[in-house]
Amino acid sequence: MTAKLFAASAVTLLLATVAHAADSGPIVIGVPVGLSGANSVVAPSVVQEAQLAVDEINAAGGVLGRKLQLEVADDASGAAGAQKAFDSLIYQKKVDALISMETSAARNAGLPAVGKGHVPYIYTSFYEGHSCNKYMYVDAWVPEQQVPPIIDNFVKDKGAKTYFLIGSDYAFGRGMLGFTRKYIEKVGGKVVGEEYLPMDGADWTPILSKLKDAKPDAIITSTAGGAPNVTLTKQMRAAGINLPYANLAVDEGTAKSMGSDATGIYLSASYVTGIDSPENKKFLDAASKKFGADLKTPNDLSVPEYEAVYLYKLAVEKAGSTDPAKVIESLPTVSFTGPRGEIKMDKEHHAPLTMYLGQVQSDGTVKVAATFKDVDPGDQCPNLK
Amino acid sequence: MLLLLDILTTAAILFVVSVGLLAIFGVLKIINFAHGAWLTIGAYCAVVAVKMGLNPWAGLPIAFVVGALLGGIAELLIIRPLYRRPLDAILATWGLGIVIGQLITLEFGRDVQLIPNLMSGTIRVLSVDYSVYRLFVLLAALVIGALFALTIEGTRLGLAARAVIMNETLARSLGIDTDRVRLVIFMIGAGLAALAGVLLTPLTSVDPNMGVAWLIGAFMLVMVADTSYLALAAACIVFGGVQVLVSTFVSPVLGGISIAVLAALVLRINSRGFSRA
Amino acid sequence: MPEDAALLDDRPGWGIASEWRAPAAAAAGAALIVWIAPLVLGAFAANVLTRSMLYATLAVTVDLLWGFTGILTFGQAAFFGVGAYATAMTMTSIGSTPAWMAAALALAIVVPMVLGLVVGWLSFYPGSTPLYASVISLVFPIVVTQLVYSGGLLTGSSSGLVGYDTLPLELEGFFRLSGIVMIAVTLAAWVFVRSDAGKLLVAVRDNDVRCAYLGISTKRIQIILMVALAGVAGFTGFIFAHASGVVAPENTGFLFGTQLVIWVALGGRGSLIGSVCAAVAIDYLSASLSGDLPFLWQLVLGAAFVIIIIFLPDGIAGLARTASLAISGSLRQTRVSRVTVAVPRTAADRRATLLKVSGLARSFGSLSVLENINLEIRPGELVSIVGPNGAGKTTLIRCLSDGSEPFKGVVEIAGQSIRGLTPDSVVALGVGRKFQVASIFESLTVAECLRLARTTSETPSGIGSAPILSLPVASVEILRLTGLIDLTGSPAGLLSHGMKQALELAMVLALEPRLILLDEPTAGLTNTERATIGAVLRHLTEEAGYAIILVEHDLDFVREISSRIVVLHQGRLVLDGAVDDVVNSEMVRTIYSGGGHV
Repeated sequence: MTAKLFAASAVTLLLATVAHAADSGPIVIGVPVGLSGANSVVAPSVVQEAQLAVDEINAAGGVLGRKLQLEVADDASGAAGAQKAFDSLIYQKKVDALISMETSAARNAGLPAVGKGHVPYIYTSFYEGHSCNKYMYVDAWVPEQQVPPIIDNFVKDKGAKTYFLIGSDYAFGRGMLGFTRKYIEKVGGKVVGEEYLPMDGADWTPILSKLKDAKPDAIITSTAGGAPNVTLTKQMRAAGINLPYANLAVDEGTAKSMGSDATGIYLSASYVTGIDSPENKKFLDAASKKFGADLKTPNDLSVPEYEAVYLYKLAVEKAGSTDPAKVIESLPTVSFTGPRGEIKMDKEHHAPLTMYLGQVQSDGTVKVAATFKDVDPGDQCPNLK
Repeated sequence: MLLLLDILTTAAILFVVSVGLLAIFGVLKIINFAHGAWLTIGAYCAVVAVKMGLNPWAGLPIAFVVGALLGGIAELLIIRPLYRRPLDAILATWGLGIVIGQLITLEFGRDVQLIPNLMSGTIRVLSVDYSVYRLFVLLAALVIGALFALTIEGTRLGLAARAVIMNETLARSLGIDTDRVRLVIFMIGAGLAALAGVLLTPLTSVDPNMGVAWLIGAFMLVMVADTSYLALAAACIVFGGVQVLVSTFVSPVLGGISIAVLAALVLRINSRGFSRA
Repeated sequence: MPEDAALLDDRPGWGIASEWRAPAAAAAGAALIVWIAPLVLGAFAANVLTRSMLYATLAVTVDLLWGFTGILTFGQAAFFGVGAYATAMTMTSIGSTPAWMAAALALAIVVPMVLGLVVGWLSFYPGSTPLYASVISLVFPIVVTQLVYSGGLLTGSSSGLVGYDTLPLELEGFFRLSGIVMIAVTLAAWVFVRSDAGKLLVAVRDNDVRCAYLGISTKRIQIILMVALAGVAGFTGFIFAHASGVVAPENTGFLFGTQLVIWVALGGRGSLIGSVCAAVAIDYLSASLSGDLPFLWQLVLGAAFVIIIIFLPDGIAGLARTASLAISGSLRQTRVSRVTVAVPRTAADRRATLLKVSGLARSFGSLSVLENINLEIRPGELVSIVGPNGAGKTTLIRCLSDGSEPFKGVVEIAGQSIRGLTPDSVVALGVGRKFQVASIFESLTVAECLRLARTTSETPSGIGSAPILSLPVASVEILRLTGLIDLTGSPAGLLSHGMKQALELAMVLALEPRLILLDEPTAGLTNTERATIGAVLRHLTEEAGYAIILVEHDLDFVREISSRIVVLHQGRLVLDGAVDDVVNSEMVRTIYSGGGHV
């Protein structure tokens, strides 16, 4: 035991000395991400886009004359793994900033370390909202931005009055559907059912039977990403349910893996590959050039990561250094026009975003049905100015 | 009507998923905690079959054979040294499940695999439209159950297996090669698990962890059923029914844990579970 | 014969202090390292190790349950999580004043203990199996995790709780606190498992039937242990909630529970130190490697786990022990207690009926094994039960000693019906039972086995081993006559067949029972041994007023020592009378002539 402790401490000291970098060395960006666990499907695309942004910036001369360097760590998509990953990045790799797409549990678990280590942190995953920390900025959407386009469209185009809500029993599922219910009731609609299954639940049969009984005009679902989403959709289609169906947790990649079952699903996102803008075209070209056949489809979780690297670069340049206090000050003042349009995290640490309502086509692609400019994130963190 | 169909088809799915585990537990008195991994292996056999351009239905026989062969290897290398240590066997098979899950991940990645449905659409049963596939699983459960019963009651292997269940020492003294019986039964159980994995593909996402969600339920059902496939069928109907009813009338969240909790209580009250009923 | 006592064993009684010196020094050294370490370690290592050491504390509790007591549990994670959540929820939802902090601490310990009581009650009951206990320990964390997910704002659901006020300790402080907790719990566990009370755990694992027939309620011990360790896990959870500043559902989960078991298995179950080292080392390594090879790491760990379970069930620590044995060439001499003669209990009333059996019947399904047995036995009698194989002798003995057997009719010990009483309660009425096949504790020493037999009369110490082992005269007599007295330090598992029989008899006699049930106590013994045991038995009944029921095949032996003989045939009591009457009766000859089992 003692020998082990000593060995461990010796190794750590060694690592610490090696990792300690002078100001002239690269600026290190830590990416804690769920390489294993629930987020493991989407994580590779997040890492790719972060790498793409770093390479582009370095090729253009870096930041303040210094190169950017990525440090990726697996957070296992959960709290325990995130603690290790954040500790490793902040204390062992001495990163200058953290930019990552993570589960809410992983983000929350990492926040104490962020506070103790005084590291600027850009969170790039959409989430259920209201997570506030002095060091954390968010460039992805919250329910206030994602849900209204869908409901507005269902009310206007489908004349939908009654809704059935289905989710996984966890913070994101309940948070999203809680807001959805409020919004539906605000615009005069009615929720005729709201049902949840445990995160690892695999049998949605009773819920689907209830749905059939309730005869709603439309269905809104918000499950945990990946497996539960696919399972629910498969079983829903098998049960012969073909109502207007909006999925708050689906991305283009997941939609593809559902095959024909995904056809017709509505989704609302701040990014779809089909956005017709020069920035998006440039981005997609660069991505496919760099990764070729290995390219993971860019999506609503990976593109914010790409843009966040640029936002950090701009903030550092504006601050004139990587000093955390100064970077924190300048982060909400810079804006970057990327694949998703212009992004500026100036709303209580969150960003107004252009949202796209899309529908999955039979070939698995997403067709943009409507665009909503600069949707406001609402009051997310009133205490953070 | 809808409720009745839900209960029956849910019970059928539970039966299909747990019958392989029961075969192994019945004869070997060992809980195969890698059962979930075998479900996954089966589903990935279907994925590979489709990738090779075969009909998705071809996944069924392929999975059975692959599952049984891998089961045979696992029995020889891992289960056999642990007959006298059933608790350790739980742990070793759990570890095996981890290894299999990671190997599948390394080969196929974590992604959800796309696999065409075996059949789709609904059919009108009396007053309701019901999923054709779920009704097919009901049929499949009956066929598997019948074949299983025939094997146990009507073949020499079944006779030997029953002898091993009742009294192993006696069986051996009667000249039954009990090691061989165990090997064959383990292979059949593993094959059935893989087969169930294929049957699950239209109902659930196919990913490296897909089996774990089904493991605990199957495990609890088998504990309640002890060694009897009839008791397993009864347990599937009763607990599946309770799960559907609780989910429908109380809360699906409670429904999700109802099998585990109820089975634990049933065992507490009567340690032989349903096998005497 | 107290003057004999000095002759029995002339080794000096070693002081308790000397036994503690080494571990206390090791603990003090470890504590010193833990105190200095945060000054030299980087923040990363200090942070990770803070948690690793708390996990190691949990691993110790798993080792106590699984390694020592044989309860394979996945539930410690849930108790830990409940403790952590109780803390975080109090801080988040109520307040973090010192008073609430103290309340949180109390809740973090008490709530898991209450749950531990429930889980214990569910897991351990007469007839429960180890597999069933494992099943419950599997269901419990699943249910707790689900409750956390459904808890909404109260539990933070999947996001967990974060941002609550914690104890005002910095990184160094938490590191030291965790380290001290780990060392204290490990030391306490180390001391406990070496104490007389600690041997109970191994005894329960080795042979719970023998425990029950020594009057020890194994279920109670298991439940008490579970409750106590649930409290320890909850306390660890309290520290964790403060040290990490976040609690999440996976801290309560079944997967974390399996992880704890994996660490203990790799380190070496039943080794304590091995489990601690494995937990710290593996958790630290996995943190360091998380960025580089998440899948491969899992794969390697999983494969190592399988291999260790199959080939090295005692883990790395077991390997180390074997290696050090091979080098030093011998087992470390365990300290042996001095044997003395106990003050006998007050003599029983010799006239009252001790055992009264009326209308006893027992059947297995349609097979009737015992029918309408009527029998009375008084103190001072030595009644032998004879009969051919399958006559129901052993079943009769079982019905007399286990009230939970579903028999019909009445069995009364000293006027009290035993119906529904578990063996340990029957033993409390003054019944001792020796099994046909010697039933002892294979991994304990002779002295430890004997001390366990005295558990009900002398509460064993939880912190040390008493230097003196006082046994009733009869036990000492058996030990002396068989030479076991010189082997008190030997592992019971290594004794010869006959010695094991003698040891078990000595253990049963150590209970000072009024009624002794002996199932072929002399099987496999030499004629001399048989004669000495016969003499002891006669002495017990004639002089000391015990009653003995003896199941025996050997008619000569029976004739020599019995005061009465009862003949069982095909489940019926066919004869009950004085020795000569029975032995010379026509019926006994008929019964025995065909069978040839004499």
